[in-house]
Amino acid sequence: MFQSSVMILLRRLASLKLTLVALIILGAAIWYAYIYEAPATWVLVPSLLLLALNLIASVATHPAFRRMSGLLLFHLGLITIVLLVALGRLTYLKGKVELAQGEEFGGQLMEVEAGAWHWGRLDQVRFINEGFRIAYAPGVQRGQTRNAVRYLDGSGKEQVMDIGDHTPLVLSGYRFYTSPNKGFAPAFIWHPATGGAPVLGTVHLPSYPINEYSQAREWQLPGTAMRVWSLLQFDEVLIDPASDSEFRLPNRHRMVVRIGERRYEMQPGDAIDLAEGRLVYDGLRTWMGYTVFYDWTIHWLLVVSMLTVSALGWHFWRKFAARPWNETRLA
Amino acid sequence: MIELKCLWAALVAYVFAGSISIVAVTLKKRPERTVLGLMVLGLLLHTISIAMRWERLGHGPFITLFEILSSNVWSMMVAFALAYWRIPPIRPSAAVVMPVLFMVMGWLIMTNPGEGHLPPTYHTIWLYIHIGFGKVFFGGVLVALGISGVILARRTAFGASRFERLPEDKRLAELSFRCMAIGFVFETLMLIAGAIWAQDAWGRYWAWDPLETWAFLTWLVLAFSLHARFTLKLSPRAGSILVVAVFIVAFLTFFGVPFISTSAHKGAV
Repeated sequence: MFQSSVMILLRRLASLKLTLVALIILGAAIWYAYIYEAPATWVLVPSLLLLALNLIASVATHPAFRRMSGLLLFHLGLITIVLLVALGRLTYLKGKVELAQGEEFGGQLMEVEAGAWHWGRLDQVRFINEGFRIAYAPGVQRGQTRNAVRYLDGSGKEQVMDIGDHTPLVLSGYRFYTSPNKGFAPAFIWHPATGGAPVLGTVHLPSYPINEYSQAREWQLPGTAMRVWSLLQFDEVLIDPASDSEFRLPNRHRMVVRIGERRYEMQPGDAIDLAEGRLVYDGLRTWMGYTVFYDWTIHWLLVVSMLTVSALGWHFWRKFAARPWNETRLA
Repeated sequence: MIELKCLWAALVAYVFAGSISIVAVTLKKRPERTVLGLMVLGLLLHTISIAMRWERLGHGPFITLFEILSSNVWSMMVAFALAYWRIPPIRPSAAVVMPVLFMVMGWLIMTNPGEGHLPPTYHTIWLYIHIGFGKVFFGGVLVALGISGVILARRTAFGASRFERLPEDKRLAELSFRCMAIGFVFETLMLIAGAIWAQDAWGRYWAWDPLETWAFLTWLVLAFSLHARFTLKLSPRAGSILVVAVFIVAFLTFFGVPFISTSAHKGAV
Protein backbone atom coordinates (compact mmCIF):
# COMPACT_ATOMS: atom_id res chain seq x y z
CA MET A 1 0.00 0.00 0.00
CA PHE A 2 2.73 2.44 1.09
CA GLN A 3 4.93 1.33 -1.80
CA SER A 4 2.16 1.91 -4.35
CA SER A 5 1.40 5.35 -2.89
CA VAL A 6 5.08 6.28 -3.23
CA MET A 7 5.08 5.04 -6.81
CA ILE A 8 1.96 7.09 -7.63
CA LEU A 9 3.57 10.19 -6.11
CA LEU A 10 6.82 9.52 -7.96
CA ARG A 11 4.98 9.11 -11.28
CA ARG A 12 3.09 12.35 -10.75
CA LEU A 13 6.29 14.14 -9.85
CA ALA A 14 7.99 12.60 -12.89
CA SER A 15 5.43 14.07 -15.30
CA LEU A 16 7.14 15.60 -18.32
CA LYS A 17 4.35 18.15 -18.44
CA LEU A 18 5.33 19.16 -14.90
CA THR A 19 8.84 19.81 -16.28
CA LEU A 20 7.35 22.34 -18.68
CA VAL A 21 5.38 23.95 -15.84
CA ALA A 22 8.52 24.05 -13.66
CA LEU A 23 10.50 25.68 -16.49
CA ILE A 24 7.78 28.34 -16.89
CA ILE A 25 7.75 28.97 -13.11
CA LEU A 26 11.56 29.24 -13.07
CA GLY A 27 11.49 31.67 -15.99
CA ALA A 28 8.77 33.74 -14.27
CA ALA A 29 10.77 33.77 -11.01
CA ILE A 30 13.89 34.99 -12.83
CA TRP A 31 11.83 37.65 -14.61
CA TYR A 32 10.32 38.74 -11.27
CA ALA A 33 13.76 38.96 -9.63
CA TYR A 34 15.09 40.89 -12.65
CA ILE A 35 12.25 43.41 -12.86
CA TYR A 36 11.78 44.00 -9.12
CA GLU A 37 15.48 43.56 -8.23
CA ALA A 38 14.50 40.96 -5.63
CA PRO A 39 17.20 38.70 -4.08
CA ALA A 40 17.48 35.98 -6.74
CA THR A 41 18.32 33.11 -4.36
CA TRP A 42 15.06 33.03 -2.41
CA VAL A 43 12.90 33.77 -5.42
CA LEU A 44 14.45 30.90 -7.34
CA VAL A 45 14.57 28.27 -4.59
CA PRO A 46 10.93 27.00 -4.90
CA SER A 47 11.06 26.62 -8.69
CA LEU A 48 14.54 25.04 -8.63
CA LEU A 49 13.36 22.64 -5.92
CA LEU A 50 10.33 21.67 -8.00
CA LEU A 51 12.51 21.20 -11.06
CA ALA A 52 15.06 19.12 -9.12
CA LEU A 53 12.32 16.85 -7.67
CA ASN A 54 10.75 16.49 -11.10
CA LEU A 55 14.15 15.58 -12.63
CA ILE A 56 14.94 13.04 -9.89
CA ALA A 57 11.50 11.41 -10.21
CA SER A 58 11.80 11.37 -14.02
CA VAL A 59 15.20 9.74 -13.95
CA ALA A 60 13.92 7.17 -11.44
CA THR A 61 10.77 6.20 -13.32
CA HIS A 62 11.07 6.89 -17.06
CA PRO A 63 12.38 3.85 -18.99
CA ALA A 64 13.62 6.17 -21.77
CA PHE A 65 16.56 7.17 -19.57
CA ARG A 66 17.71 3.54 -19.36
CA ARG A 67 17.82 3.36 -23.17
CA MET A 68 19.54 6.72 -23.66
CA SER A 69 22.58 6.96 -21.43
CA GLY A 70 23.62 10.39 -22.79
CA LEU A 71 20.25 11.84 -21.89
CA LEU A 72 20.41 10.14 -18.47
CA LEU A 73 23.85 11.63 -17.78
CA PHE A 74 22.63 15.06 -18.90
CA HIS A 75 19.71 15.00 -16.47
CA LEU A 76 21.83 13.58 -13.62
CA GLY A 77 24.28 16.40 -14.34
CA LEU A 78 21.51 18.99 -14.09
CA ILE A 79 20.43 17.56 -10.72
CA THR A 80 24.04 17.64 -9.49
CA ILE A 81 24.44 21.26 -10.66
CA VAL A 82 21.31 22.31 -8.74
CA LEU A 83 22.62 20.51 -5.61
CA LEU A 84 26.08 22.05 -5.96
CA VAL A 85 24.64 25.54 -6.44
CA ALA A 86 22.49 25.02 -3.32
CA LEU A 87 25.54 23.89 -1.32
CA GLY A 88 27.52 26.80 -2.72
CA ARG A 89 24.86 29.28 -1.61
CA LEU A 90 24.93 27.81 1.90
CA THR A 91 28.70 28.01 2.27
CA TYR A 92 29.81 30.95 0.09
CA LEU A 93 31.32 34.25 1.15
CA LYS A 94 31.45 37.52 -0.75
CA GLY A 95 33.03 40.63 0.63
CA LYS A 96 34.99 43.79 0.09
CA VAL A 97 38.07 45.18 1.75
CA GLU A 98 40.37 48.14 1.14
CA LEU A 99 44.07 48.08 2.01
CA ALA A 100 46.53 50.94 1.92
CA GLN A 101 49.98 50.40 0.45
CA GLY A 102 52.05 48.50 3.00
CA GLU A 103 49.00 47.48 5.04
CA GLU A 104 48.41 43.86 6.06
CA PHE A 105 45.03 42.20 5.62
CA GLY A 106 43.96 41.15 9.10
CA GLY A 107 40.96 38.96 8.31
CA GLN A 108 38.35 41.72 8.61
CA LEU A 109 36.10 42.76 5.73
CA MET A 110 34.33 46.09 5.23
CA GLU A 111 31.30 44.45 3.60
CA VAL A 112 30.49 40.78 3.93
CA GLU A 113 27.75 38.46 2.75
CA ALA A 114 27.98 34.77 3.60
CA GLY A 115 25.92 31.58 3.46
CA ALA A 116 24.46 30.15 6.66
CA TRP A 117 27.00 27.28 6.74
CA HIS A 118 30.11 29.27 5.93
CA TRP A 119 32.84 28.14 8.29
CA GLY A 120 35.14 31.09 8.55
CA ARG A 121 38.88 30.71 8.23
CA LEU A 122 39.26 34.19 6.85
CA ASP A 123 40.68 35.43 10.17
CA GLN A 124 43.75 33.24 9.52
CA VAL A 125 44.39 34.73 6.07
CA ARG A 126 47.18 37.30 5.86
CA PHE A 127 48.78 39.22 3.01
CA ILE A 128 50.27 42.66 2.47
CA ASN A 129 49.37 45.11 -0.29
CA GLU A 130 52.71 46.26 -1.71
CA GLY A 131 51.20 48.82 -4.12
CA PHE A 132 49.90 48.74 -7.66
CA ARG A 133 50.58 49.93 -11.18
CA ILE A 134 47.81 50.76 -13.64
CA ALA A 135 48.41 52.09 -17.14
CA TYR A 136 45.84 54.40 -18.71
CA ALA A 137 45.19 54.85 -22.42
CA PRO A 138 44.07 58.22 -23.86
CA GLY A 139 40.56 59.09 -22.74
CA VAL A 140 41.30 57.89 -19.16
CA GLN A 141 40.78 54.28 -20.27
CA ARG A 142 42.01 51.93 -17.58
CA GLY A 143 44.46 49.24 -18.64
CA GLN A 144 45.67 46.16 -16.77
CA THR A 145 46.02 46.34 -12.98
CA ARG A 146 49.22 44.90 -11.50
CA ASN A 147 49.08 44.78 -7.73
CA ALA A 148 52.08 43.35 -5.87
CA VAL A 149 51.12 41.34 -2.78
CA ARG A 150 53.29 39.56 -0.20
CA TYR A 151 52.09 36.51 1.69
CA LEU A 152 53.25 33.28 3.31
CA ASP A 153 52.55 30.13 1.31
CA GLY A 154 51.45 26.77 2.75
CA SER A 155 55.02 25.87 3.73
CA GLY A 156 55.50 29.19 5.54
CA LYS A 157 57.77 30.59 2.81
CA GLU A 158 57.31 34.26 1.87
CA GLN A 159 56.02 34.83 -1.65
CA VAL A 160 55.51 37.97 -3.71
CA MET A 161 53.18 37.95 -6.69
CA ASP A 162 51.41 40.35 -9.03
CA ILE A 163 47.66 40.00 -8.96
CA GLY A 164 45.16 41.90 -11.09
CA ASP A 165 42.59 41.43 -13.81
CA HIS A 166 42.11 37.66 -14.27
CA THR A 167 44.70 36.82 -11.60
CA PRO A 168 43.37 36.63 -8.04
CA LEU A 169 45.35 35.87 -4.90
CA VAL A 170 44.02 32.56 -3.57
CA LEU A 171 44.65 31.85 0.13
CA SER A 172 42.86 29.05 2.03
CA GLY A 173 40.20 28.96 -0.70
CA TYR A 174 39.51 32.72 -0.43
CA ARG A 175 40.02 34.53 -3.71
CA PHE A 176 41.10 38.19 -3.57
CA TYR A 177 40.47 40.17 -6.74
CA THR A 178 41.65 43.71 -7.39
CA SER A 179 38.83 46.07 -8.34
CA PRO A 180 38.51 49.38 -10.22
CA ASN A 181 38.01 50.90 -6.77
CA LYS A 182 41.35 52.43 -5.74
CA GLY A 183 42.80 55.80 -4.84
CA PHE A 184 44.98 57.90 -2.57
CA ALA A 185 45.47 57.28 1.12
CA PRO A 186 47.09 60.03 3.26
CA ALA A 187 48.77 58.45 6.30
CA PHE A 188 48.71 60.14 9.72
CA ILE A 189 50.34 59.29 13.04
CA TRP A 190 48.37 60.18 16.15
CA HIS A 191 50.30 60.67 19.41
CA PRO A 192 47.72 60.81 22.25
CA ALA A 193 48.41 63.38 24.97
CA THR A 194 47.59 60.69 27.54
CA GLY A 195 50.89 59.00 26.64
CA GLY A 196 49.55 55.93 24.86
CA ALA A 197 51.34 54.32 21.93
CA PRO A 198 51.27 56.31 18.66
CA VAL A 199 48.70 55.11 16.13
CA LEU A 200 49.43 55.00 12.40
CA GLY A 201 46.35 55.15 10.19
CA THR A 202 45.39 55.91 6.61
CA VAL A 203 42.40 57.78 5.27
CA HIS A 204 41.06 56.26 2.07
CA LEU A 205 40.04 59.19 -0.13
CA PRO A 206 37.27 58.58 -2.70
CA SER A 207 38.17 56.34 -5.63
CA TYR A 208 40.44 57.98 -8.23
CA PRO A 209 40.18 59.08 -11.03
CA ILE A 210 36.40 58.66 -11.06
CA ASN A 211 36.12 61.15 -8.15
CA GLU A 212 38.98 63.33 -9.37
CA TYR A 213 37.38 66.56 -8.11
CA SER A 214 36.25 65.38 -4.67
CA GLN A 215 39.38 64.09 -2.98
CA ALA A 216 38.22 64.83 0.58
CA ARG A 217 37.06 62.71 3.51
CA GLU A 218 35.97 63.36 7.11
CA TRP A 219 37.21 61.00 9.83
CA GLN A 220 37.62 60.75 13.60
CA LEU A 221 40.80 60.93 15.66
CA PRO A 222 41.31 57.61 17.52
CA GLY A 223 40.13 57.66 21.15
CA THR A 224 38.55 61.12 20.82
CA ALA A 225 35.32 62.64 19.59
CA MET A 226 37.19 65.06 17.30
CA ARG A 227 36.23 65.09 13.61
CA VAL A 228 38.94 65.83 11.05
CA TRP A 229 38.25 66.87 7.48
CA SER A 230 41.12 66.30 5.06
CA LEU A 231 41.48 67.30 1.41
CA LEU A 232 44.20 66.31 -1.06
CA GLN A 233 45.23 69.14 -3.39
CA PHE A 234 47.71 69.05 -6.26
CA ASP A 235 48.11 71.01 -9.49
CA GLU A 236 49.45 68.25 -11.77
CA VAL A 237 47.48 66.31 -14.33
CA LEU A 238 48.13 62.76 -13.15
CA ILE A 239 46.11 60.86 -15.74
CA ASP A 240 46.20 62.83 -18.96
CA PRO A 241 43.09 62.29 -21.07
CA ALA A 242 45.13 63.16 -24.18
CA SER A 243 47.94 60.63 -23.85
CA ASP A 244 49.11 57.37 -22.32
CA SER A 245 49.78 57.68 -18.61
CA GLU A 246 50.04 55.69 -15.40
CA PHE A 247 48.40 55.94 -11.98
CA ARG A 248 50.96 57.57 -9.68
CA LEU A 249 51.32 59.78 -6.64
CA PRO A 250 51.58 63.54 -7.37
CA ASN A 251 55.13 64.93 -7.27
CA ARG A 252 53.95 67.85 -5.10
CA HIS A 253 50.80 68.00 -3.07
CA ARG A 254 49.17 69.75 -0.08
CA MET A 255 47.13 68.01 2.55
CA VAL A 256 44.48 70.48 3.73
CA VAL A 257 43.21 69.56 7.18
CA ARG A 258 40.34 71.22 9.01
CA ILE A 259 39.72 70.54 12.70
CA GLY A 260 36.85 72.55 14.15
CA GLU A 261 37.27 76.11 12.90
CA ARG A 262 41.05 75.77 12.26
CA ARG A 263 42.46 75.08 8.83
CA TYR A 264 45.98 73.68 8.21
CA GLU A 265 48.00 72.99 5.04
CA MET A 266 50.37 70.10 5.67
CA GLN A 267 53.39 68.56 3.97
CA PRO A 268 54.78 65.14 4.94
CA GLY A 269 56.38 65.45 8.40
CA ASP A 270 54.24 68.44 9.48
CA ALA A 271 52.41 68.18 12.79
CA ILE A 272 49.40 69.79 14.47
CA ASP A 273 49.45 70.11 18.24
CA LEU A 274 46.08 69.76 19.89
CA ALA A 275 44.98 69.51 23.52
CA GLU A 276 44.18 65.81 22.98
CA GLY A 277 47.47 64.98 21.28
CA ARG A 278 49.70 65.52 18.27
CA LEU A 279 48.70 64.73 14.68
CA VAL A 280 51.60 64.12 12.28
CA TYR A 281 51.09 63.89 8.53
CA ASP A 282 53.25 60.92 7.47
CA GLY A 283 52.77 61.17 3.68
CA LEU A 284 50.68 60.04 0.77
CA ARG A 285 50.14 56.41 -0.24
CA THR A 286 47.68 54.53 -2.41
CA TRP A 287 44.89 52.14 -1.47
CA MET A 288 43.36 49.25 -3.37
CA GLY A 289 39.85 47.85 -3.04
CA TYR A 290 39.58 44.06 -3.16
CA THR A 291 36.62 41.82 -3.87
CA VAL A 292 36.77 38.67 -1.77
CA PHE A 293 35.10 35.47 -2.94
CA TYR A 294 34.87 32.00 -1.43
CA ASP A 295 32.92 29.11 -2.92
CA TRP A 296 34.41 25.63 -2.73
CA THR A 297 31.92 24.32 -5.30
CA ILE A 298 33.17 26.30 -8.31
CA HIS A 299 35.65 23.69 -9.56
CA TRP A 300 33.12 20.89 -9.08
CA LEU A 301 30.51 22.98 -10.88
CA LEU A 302 32.86 23.38 -13.83
CA VAL A 303 33.62 19.64 -14.01
CA VAL A 304 29.94 18.63 -13.71
CA SER A 305 28.84 21.31 -16.21
CA MET A 306 31.35 20.06 -18.77
CA LEU A 307 30.28 16.44 -18.25
CA THR A 308 26.63 17.46 -18.50
CA VAL A 309 26.99 19.36 -21.75
CA SER A 310 29.23 16.61 -23.18
CA ALA A 311 26.55 14.04 -22.37
CA LEU A 312 23.93 16.17 -24.12
CA GLY A 313 26.21 16.62 -27.15
CA TRP A 314 26.82 12.87 -27.25
CA HIS A 315 23.08 12.17 -27.03
CA PHE A 316 22.28 14.49 -29.94
CA TRP A 317 25.27 13.27 -31.96
CA ARG A 318 24.06 9.66 -31.75
CA LYS A 319 20.50 10.70 -32.52
CA PHE A 320 21.38 12.82 -35.55
CA ALA A 321 24.15 10.62 -36.94
CA ALA A 322 21.59 7.89 -37.55
CA ARG A 323 20.08 9.83 -40.50
CA PRO A 324 21.64 12.28 -42.97
CA TRP A 325 20.74 15.95 -42.77
CA ASN A 326 19.86 16.38 -46.44
CA GLU A 327 17.30 13.58 -46.60
CA THR A 328 14.09 15.05 -47.98
CA ARG A 329 11.60 12.66 -46.36
CA LEU A 330 11.09 11.32 -42.86
CA ALA A 331 11.92 7.62 -42.48
CA MET B 1 39.66 52.97 -45.69
CA ILE B 2 40.01 49.66 -47.49
CA GLU B 3 38.49 47.73 -44.58
CA LEU B 4 35.28 49.75 -44.82
CA LYS B 5 35.17 49.43 -48.61
CA CYS B 6 35.53 45.65 -48.23
CA LEU B 7 32.72 45.65 -45.69
CA TRP B 8 30.38 47.68 -47.90
CA ALA B 9 31.21 45.42 -50.87
CA ALA B 10 30.47 42.36 -48.69
CA LEU B 11 27.11 43.83 -47.67
CA VAL B 12 26.27 44.50 -51.32
CA ALA B 13 27.06 40.84 -52.12
CA TYR B 14 24.85 39.67 -49.24
CA VAL B 15 22.03 41.97 -50.35
CA PHE B 16 22.24 40.62 -53.91
CA ALA B 17 22.28 37.04 -52.59
CA GLY B 18 19.22 37.70 -50.40
CA SER B 19 17.33 39.65 -53.06
CA ILE B 20 17.93 36.97 -55.69
CA SER B 21 16.73 34.33 -53.18
CA ILE B 22 13.51 36.22 -52.50
CA VAL B 23 12.85 36.87 -56.19
CA ALA B 24 13.70 33.23 -57.03
CA VAL B 25 11.22 31.89 -54.48
CA THR B 26 8.55 34.29 -55.76
CA LEU B 27 9.16 33.28 -59.40
CA LYS B 28 9.79 29.63 -58.50
CA LYS B 29 13.33 29.73 -59.95
CA ARG B 30 16.48 28.03 -58.58
CA PRO B 31 19.58 30.22 -59.04
CA GLU B 32 21.17 28.44 -56.07
CA ARG B 33 24.76 28.43 -57.34
CA THR B 34 24.62 32.18 -57.93
CA VAL B 35 23.24 32.77 -54.44
CA LEU B 36 25.86 30.53 -52.81
CA GLY B 37 28.59 32.21 -54.87
CA LEU B 38 27.47 35.66 -53.75
CA MET B 39 27.32 34.52 -50.12
CA VAL B 40 30.88 33.13 -50.32
CA LEU B 41 32.13 36.28 -52.08
CA GLY B 42 30.51 38.43 -49.41
CA LEU B 43 32.02 36.30 -46.65
CA LEU B 44 35.52 36.54 -48.20
CA LEU B 45 35.30 40.34 -48.39
CA HIS B 46 33.80 40.54 -44.91
CA THR B 47 36.55 38.31 -43.47
CA ILE B 48 39.20 40.56 -45.05
CA SER B 49 37.50 43.63 -43.57
CA ILE B 50 37.33 42.13 -40.05
CA ALA B 51 40.92 40.85 -40.27
CA MET B 52 42.23 44.27 -41.35
CA ARG B 53 40.42 46.03 -38.51
CA TRP B 54 41.67 43.39 -36.04
CA GLU B 55 45.23 43.89 -37.24
CA ARG B 56 44.92 47.70 -37.09
CA LEU B 57 43.34 47.91 -33.61
CA GLY B 58 45.00 44.88 -32.01
CA HIS B 59 41.74 43.40 -30.77
CA GLY B 60 38.83 41.41 -32.12
CA PRO B 61 35.43 42.75 -33.21
CA PHE B 62 33.68 42.79 -29.84
CA ILE B 63 34.01 46.27 -28.34
CA THR B 64 31.88 48.80 -30.21
CA LEU B 65 28.33 48.36 -31.47
CA PHE B 66 29.72 48.55 -35.01
CA GLU B 67 32.17 45.69 -34.37
CA ILE B 68 29.59 43.54 -32.62
CA LEU B 69 27.03 44.00 -35.40
CA SER B 70 29.63 43.38 -38.10
CA SER B 71 30.95 40.19 -36.49
CA ASN B 72 27.42 38.93 -35.87
CA VAL B 73 26.41 39.52 -39.49
CA TRP B 74 29.56 37.60 -40.46
CA SER B 75 28.86 34.67 -38.12
CA MET B 76 25.17 34.49 -39.08
CA MET B 77 26.17 34.46 -42.76
CA VAL B 78 28.75 31.71 -42.11
CA ALA B 79 26.13 29.59 -40.34
CA PHE B 80 23.51 30.08 -43.01
CA ALA B 81 25.95 29.67 -45.92
CA LEU B 82 27.11 26.35 -44.41
CA ALA B 83 23.51 25.18 -44.06
CA TYR B 84 22.77 26.41 -47.59
CA TRP B 85 25.73 24.48 -48.95
CA ARG B 86 25.34 21.25 -46.95
CA ILE B 87 21.52 20.92 -46.83
CA PRO B 88 20.27 21.68 -50.38
CA PRO B 89 16.60 20.87 -49.63
CA ILE B 90 16.27 23.92 -47.36
CA ARG B 91 17.91 26.46 -49.69
CA PRO B 92 14.70 28.43 -50.42
CA SER B 93 14.58 29.26 -46.69
CA ALA B 94 17.12 31.97 -47.62
CA ALA B 95 14.05 34.04 -48.53
CA VAL B 96 13.11 33.97 -44.81
CA VAL B 97 16.59 34.30 -43.29
CA MET B 98 18.05 37.04 -45.47
CA PRO B 99 15.47 39.73 -44.54
CA VAL B 100 16.50 39.19 -40.88
CA LEU B 101 20.11 39.73 -41.91
CA PHE B 102 19.12 42.79 -43.97
CA MET B 103 17.72 44.31 -40.77
CA VAL B 104 21.01 43.82 -38.89
CA MET B 105 22.99 45.02 -41.91
CA GLY B 106 20.85 48.19 -42.04
CA TRP B 107 21.61 48.77 -38.38
CA LEU B 108 25.31 48.19 -39.07
CA ILE B 109 25.35 50.75 -41.91
CA MET B 110 23.84 53.40 -39.61
CA THR B 111 26.40 52.76 -36.86
CA ASN B 112 29.55 54.80 -36.27
CA PRO B 113 32.59 52.71 -37.25
CA GLY B 114 34.78 54.50 -34.67
CA GLU B 115 37.21 52.71 -32.39
CA GLY B 116 36.70 51.61 -28.80
CA HIS B 117 38.99 50.81 -25.90
CA LEU B 118 39.61 47.19 -24.92
CA PRO B 119 38.70 46.93 -21.21
CA PRO B 120 41.24 45.09 -19.03
CA THR B 121 38.66 42.37 -18.31
CA TYR B 122 38.70 41.46 -22.02
CA HIS B 123 42.32 40.24 -22.02
CA THR B 124 41.46 36.57 -21.76
CA ILE B 125 41.09 33.56 -24.02
CA TRP B 126 37.72 32.86 -22.38
CA LEU B 127 36.28 35.91 -24.12
CA TYR B 128 37.01 34.35 -27.52
CA ILE B 129 35.66 30.96 -26.42
CA HIS B 130 32.51 32.54 -24.93
CA ILE B 131 31.83 34.63 -28.03
CA GLY B 132 32.65 31.74 -30.38
CA PHE B 133 30.15 29.42 -28.68
CA GLY B 134 27.57 32.22 -28.70
CA LYS B 135 27.97 32.70 -32.43
CA VAL B 136 27.48 28.98 -33.14
CA PHE B 137 24.37 29.02 -30.92
CA PHE B 138 22.88 32.00 -32.72
CA GLY B 139 23.78 30.53 -36.12
CA GLY B 140 21.93 27.32 -35.24
CA VAL B 141 18.83 29.21 -34.12
CA LEU B 142 18.97 31.40 -37.27
CA VAL B 143 18.93 28.34 -39.55
CA ALA B 144 16.06 26.88 -37.47
CA LEU B 145 14.22 30.19 -37.88
CA GLY B 146 14.55 30.00 -41.67
CA ILE B 147 13.15 26.47 -41.76
CA SER B 148 10.36 27.34 -39.31
CA GLY B 149 9.53 30.43 -41.34
CA VAL B 150 8.95 28.20 -44.35
CA ILE B 151 6.61 25.95 -42.31
CA LEU B 152 4.63 28.96 -41.12
CA ALA B 153 4.58 30.59 -44.58
CA ARG B 154 3.08 27.41 -45.97
CA ARG B 155 -0.07 28.13 -43.99
CA THR B 156 -0.94 30.65 -46.71
CA ALA B 157 -1.82 29.69 -50.27
CA PHE B 158 0.99 31.92 -51.61
CA GLY B 159 3.57 30.41 -49.27
CA ALA B 160 2.38 26.86 -49.92
CA SER B 161 2.83 27.28 -53.67
CA ARG B 162 6.18 29.08 -53.40
CA PHE B 163 7.73 26.59 -50.96
CA GLU B 164 6.15 23.43 -52.40
CA ARG B 165 9.53 22.04 -53.52
CA LEU B 166 10.80 21.84 -49.95
CA PRO B 167 10.48 18.64 -47.90
CA GLU B 168 7.24 17.98 -46.04
CA ASP B 169 6.55 19.95 -42.84
CA LYS B 170 7.40 17.05 -40.51
CA ARG B 171 10.82 16.63 -42.08
CA LEU B 172 11.43 20.38 -41.93
CA ALA B 173 10.37 20.42 -38.26
CA GLU B 174 12.86 17.63 -37.59
CA LEU B 175 15.64 19.62 -39.27
CA SER B 176 14.66 22.69 -37.31
CA PHE B 177 14.79 20.61 -34.10
CA ARG B 178 18.34 19.49 -34.99
CA CYS B 179 19.46 23.10 -35.43
CA MET B 180 17.81 24.07 -32.15
CA ALA B 181 19.51 21.13 -30.41
CA ILE B 182 22.90 22.29 -31.69
CA GLY B 183 21.98 25.78 -30.53
CA PHE B 184 21.10 24.43 -27.09
CA VAL B 185 24.44 22.64 -26.68
CA PHE B 186 26.36 25.75 -27.73
CA GLU B 187 24.22 28.10 -25.65
CA THR B 188 25.06 25.89 -22.64
CA LEU B 189 28.77 26.00 -23.55
CA MET B 190 28.51 29.78 -23.96
CA LEU B 191 27.08 30.12 -20.46
CA ILE B 192 29.82 27.90 -18.97
CA ALA B 193 32.61 29.82 -20.76
CA GLY B 194 30.99 33.12 -19.73
CA ALA B 195 30.88 31.98 -16.10
CA ILE B 196 34.60 31.10 -16.18
CA TRP B 197 35.37 34.51 -17.68
CA ALA B 198 33.18 36.31 -15.12
CA GLN B 199 34.86 34.47 -12.24
CA ASP B 200 38.28 35.58 -13.45
CA ALA B 201 37.27 39.09 -14.44
CA TRP B 202 34.86 40.15 -11.72
CA GLY B 203 35.38 37.59 -8.95
CA ARG B 204 31.99 35.90 -9.33
CA TYR B 205 30.79 33.32 -11.82
CA TRP B 206 27.19 34.45 -11.85
CA ALA B 207 25.56 37.64 -10.58
CA TRP B 208 22.27 37.92 -12.50
CA ASP B 209 23.40 41.06 -14.32
CA PRO B 210 21.06 41.96 -17.22
CA LEU B 211 23.06 40.11 -19.85
CA GLU B 212 23.44 36.98 -17.70
CA THR B 213 19.74 37.04 -16.83
CA TRP B 214 18.68 37.35 -20.46
CA ALA B 215 21.15 34.68 -21.58
CA PHE B 216 19.76 32.29 -18.97
CA LEU B 217 16.17 33.14 -19.96
CA THR B 218 17.13 32.32 -23.55
CA TRP B 219 18.52 28.98 -22.34
CA LEU B 220 15.27 28.29 -20.48
CA VAL B 221 13.06 29.19 -23.46
CA LEU B 222 15.23 26.99 -25.68
CA ALA B 223 15.05 24.13 -23.16
CA PHE B 224 11.27 24.61 -22.98
CA SER B 225 10.88 24.50 -26.76
CA LEU B 226 12.96 21.29 -27.08
CA HIS B 227 11.14 19.67 -24.17
CA ALA B 228 7.69 20.74 -25.39
CA ARG B 229 8.35 19.28 -28.83
CA PHE B 230 9.02 15.89 -27.22
CA THR B 231 6.44 16.02 -24.41
CA LEU B 232 3.45 17.61 -26.14
CA LYS B 233 4.11 16.01 -29.56
CA LEU B 234 3.81 19.46 -31.09
CA SER B 235 2.65 19.94 -34.66
CA PRO B 236 5.27 21.41 -37.03
CA ARG B 237 3.36 24.69 -36.93
CA ALA B 238 3.30 24.91 -33.11
CA GLY B 239 6.99 23.90 -32.98
CA SER B 240 7.79 26.62 -35.50
CA ILE B 241 6.04 29.26 -33.40
CA LEU B 242 8.25 28.22 -30.47
CA VAL B 243 11.36 28.50 -32.68
CA VAL B 244 10.32 32.05 -33.60
CA ALA B 245 9.84 32.82 -29.88
CA VAL B 246 13.32 31.45 -29.07
CA PHE B 247 14.81 33.51 -31.89
CA ILE B 248 13.14 36.70 -30.64
CA VAL B 249 14.44 36.17 -27.07
CA ALA B 250 17.92 35.27 -28.38
CA PHE B 251 17.89 38.31 -30.69
CA LEU B 252 16.97 40.61 -27.80
CA THR B 253 19.73 39.06 -25.67
CA PHE B 254 22.36 39.43 -28.39
CA PHE B 255 21.41 42.80 -29.84
CA GLY B 256 19.24 44.48 -27.23
CA VAL B 257 20.57 43.92 -23.73
CA PRO B 258 24.29 44.74 -24.28
CA PHE B 259 23.26 48.19 -25.50
CA ILE B 260 20.77 48.86 -22.71
CA SER B 261 23.11 47.89 -19.88
CA THR B 262 26.89 48.05 -19.91
CA SER B 263 27.21 47.18 -16.23
CA ALA B 264 28.95 43.85 -16.45
CA HIS B 265 30.84 43.66 -19.67
CA LYS B 266 32.77 46.93 -19.51
CA GLY B 267 35.59 48.07 -17.28
CA ALA B 268 35.24 50.96 -14.83
CA VAL B 269 37.98 53.62 -14.59
